[in-house]
Amino acid sequence: MKQYISYKSFLLLILSLLLGCDFSNEYTQSPIHNFKALWEILDENYCFFEYKNIDWDIIHDEYISYIHNDMDDDYLFSTLSMMLNELEDGHVNLFSPYRVSSYEGWQYDETLPFAFYTVRYEYLEDGVSGFDDFLFYKAIENGKIGYIYYETFKEGLHEKEMDEMFEELKNCSGLIIDIRDNGGGSLTNSDRFASRFFHQKTLTGYIQHKTGKGRNDFSEPYPIYLQPSHSILWPEEKPVVILTNRRCYSASNNFISKMGVLKNVTTIGTPTGGGSGFPFTSELPNGWGVRFSTSPILDIHKEHTEFGIDPDILVKISDSKESPSLDPALDKAISFLLTGK
Amino acid sequence: MNRIYILLFILLCITLPGHSQEEKQDTPYSVNEGTMFGLGSSHVKDTYLSPFTYSGWGFRILNERMKIISAGDGRISRQQLINVDITSTQNPAENVNDFGGFVDYSLGFHYRFNLTPSFRLMTGASGHIMGGFLYNTRNSNNPLSAKVDLDLNLSAIIMHYTRIKETPLILRYQIDAPIAGVFFSPDYGESYYEIFNTGNLGHTIAFNSFHNKFALKNYLTVDILCKGFTLRTGYLNSIYYTDNNNTQTRIISNTFLVGWVKEFVALGGKRNKKRQKINSSFY
Repeated sequence: MKQYISYKSFLLLILSLLLGCDFSNEYTQSPIHNFKALWEILDENYCFFEYKNIDWDIIHDEYISYIHNDMDDDYLFSTLSMMLNELEDGHVNLFSPYRVSSYEGWQYDETLPFAFYTVRYEYLEDGVSGFDDFLFYKAIENGKIGYIYYETFKEGLHEKEMDEMFEELKNCSGLIIDIRDNGGGSLTNSDRFASRFFHQKTLTGYIQHKTGKGRNDFSEPYPIYLQPSHSILWPEEKPVVILTNRRCYSASNNFISKMGVLKNVTTIGTPTGGGSGFPFTSELPNGWGVRFSTSPILDIHKEHTEFGIDPDILVKISDSKESPSLDPALDKAISFLLTGK
Repeated sequence: MNRIYILLFILLCITLPGHSQEEKQDTPYSVNEGTMFGLGSSHVKDTYLSPFTYSGWGFRILNERMKIISAGDGRISRQQLINVDITSTQNPAENVNDFGGFVDYSLGFHYRFNLTPSFRLMTGASGHIMGGFLYNTRNSNNPLSAKVDLDLNLSAIIMHYTRIKETPLILRYQIDAPIAGVFFSPDYGESYYEIFNTGNLGHTIAFNSFHNKFALKNYLTVDILCKGFTLRTGYLNSIYYTDNNNTQTRIISNTFLVGWVKEFVALGGKRNKKRQKINSSFY
């Protein structure tokens, strides 16, 4: 009998391989199965359990008690979202055809109010150049200071467009890069922009990845070098100020970490939001998608920046209450570049 | 030990072009070229993209050239296969698509054994190179799984000649399977950003053999010789399975093909123009 079963299993395997059929049904809407699948995907792939001191097993035991097979999709989605929010990670999302969950705690902090239209109409006024509504630039303070606002790294500039911008700002003695509220995007875009400020190949951080399903199966930190652009470079003797706030996240946080290694760069504003885990996407048996951090990107000291980066000069919300300034961080940057204070 | 010598001989045949001793033969051999188009089912599972099997359809173009080479006294044939495969598959919940595109080329040599007047067995080996991708429409930072494989295959063909009424038919079954090679395989959670932007190629090239790769192509064709035209119909079952760096890929397809065959003499010249007869490399 035993021999018969193994022979039958072998035939089934050969038949399965030849016909490409899966004899197991992978699709299920069962809340228990989908909960287990989600928990397991995070268990095998999420990269910050140890750094954030999260006991994922305790979270499993707590949340499985809320799961029962007669709960509807909305309730299941809300429960799974709450479990994911325990990770306190803006790169963790759950997607259903009708809803997207995301943890937004990273952006709520004592932060300076920022609205680009205030800068646009009160500081830049007329003659602003820009590309596709995500990047604006102008020489201000009688041409002494260049100002660039880069709204999102989801969009990238062509090399010719960047040449055009740096050509127009070449006579400025200092530069302000305003990436406040830049929630990230593509590292390729932020790296391409950063490469305009590097004059030699420079170590800018490290990256690790999971090598297996164990929670601490990580590769050795691999160095990340940034190469200078072959086109127009911003002179290394001219100072650069980067304006930051809590809503600088992901690729934007990474841009600040990389630019921070340059001696002529000063960051002004409030701490960034973080988001240093490179995210991957997977899915549940019911077709819902899940995104999660899987590769930590470290700074040059091999430290995590998952919870944000402090600025060199902190401009607190209380500073804005004491002064009538419309944008105290921008005023501080202008003052710093004109007077060194 | 003898097997190793046979393998080395076959590898030598693959790498060295045949010398033009054909001129010594009275009757030249043709190049037999078949081009086929096919549709069929495709099942794709790549755990770098998703833990689930995606199912759908595949479109395939297959071009095959077979020729008797000068070495081996007319008993060794060279076979070139160019295969283009495009797939569109969906996840079990049918709300996400994977698109796949693969191109592969193999160059093989077979030794011919004429078992009976109507049966021929051909055994040999081939070098095989494949490049392709799977693209998941939902994944953000891991949307793509690239495939690059370089293999040494073992290959066997059985041919049978028969007739239905007055129409000659040639049945061919071919099986190809890799025994060793190298392939591209990212580490378990390694992003393409880390591989290509930072240059960490560390564990991305793997030696493959039966411990981490199993692939098989079962190829069945029927050639129907009509007047002035040869129709080729066929079925191709392709299995591709890899398990490396805790990442599994399984691509299985079943394709029905139809196309045509033409025979020509590759090197012409005045002498060949005068010939009334050529030897087929296939039939």
